[in-house]
Amino acid sequence: MRLRLLSRIDVPTRSDWRVFAGYCAAAAVYIVIGVVYDDFLLSVVVGMAYLVVAAWLVPRTIRRMRRRLQ
Amino acid sequence: MSWAAHDLEPYAFQKHLNLKVAFVPLLIGSYAPDLMTKWFVYGIHLGPWELKASNPAQFHRGWPGFGFTHSLTFGLLIGLVIWKGFGSKLWAVSFVIGHWAHALTDTGDTVGTMLLFPWTFHFHLDAWAYAGQTGRFTDAAAYFSGLGGAWDAVWIVYGFYSWRVITSEYFDNIIYRADAFWPWVNRWVPRGALLTLYRAAFFYGTSRWIAWTIWAHVVHHYPYDLSWGGPHWVPAEHP
Repeated sequence: MRLRLLSRIDVPTRSDWRVFAGYCAAAAVYIVIGVVYDDFLLSVVVGMAYLVVAAWLVPRTIRRMRRRLQ
Repeated sequence: MSWAAHDLEPYAFQKHLNLKVAFVPLLIGSYAPDLMTKWFVYGIHLGPWELKASNPAQFHRGWPGFGFTHSLTFGLLIGLVIWKGFGSKLWAVSFVIGHWAHALTDTGDTVGTMLLFPWTFHFHLDAWAYAGQTGRFTDAAAYFSGLGGAWDAVWIVYGFYSWRVITSEYFDNIIYRADAFWPWVNRWVPRGALLTLYRAAFFYGTSRWIAWTIWAHVVHHYPYDLSWGGPHWVPAEHP
């Protein structure tokens, strides 16, 4: 039985998947906005700004608010 | 022209070159050929005036015009300026790799690029139609209906195959360490925001590919034409 191959496959950790899920959620919102208002898709600056807000600023603000409430 | 490949190619190069390149100039190089010209290709409205090239393909890729920005020689020249003028061989090499990737990718359409400018011969594979002259939205519809969009999809798949490149561990150990730019910006911008910015082009390229595909085929029902040189429902430009 050769099970060694599995140990060589580079598999994302649970934490990697969690981060990926967050980005997927941000992407889903971006795509919906983009399909409805197509101008939103045209600028790389808008795309980057959106991502910084959706994937960094919003989660950070929520984390901070949670900490304060605790 | 390509819509998402220029966002995604730098991550593929990053995977193979690790500490030998700096990501920021790699990405700037990848965007550089279109940076100053794309708005004039599609045209913009300033009050009552419309600013648009009378011959968009000629302006974008030709000579006379700004086609020299898509040549290997122009990339090399800017790389030399970065190296000798600003003293960074790492930034110079990274810029040239990104720039050359853009110039070579754009040979895939029907207009192609003057890779060896000042020799004005256009290298073109004719795999997908150049339709920049039809305006931003028809161009998007055509691109995401032909082999151009399929070529972008290859880069998206390769990007996900190279998933380690966009992890925070990779950012800390390779991206941040390879280039003094990141520690310098980190004086004002938190590390979490920098990591997000590093991932932004990947996110932008992939999300935009999905969004334009939905826009072209679910909302507007443009027909797919994956034949060589297609889609043939759009008038393709040639050199």
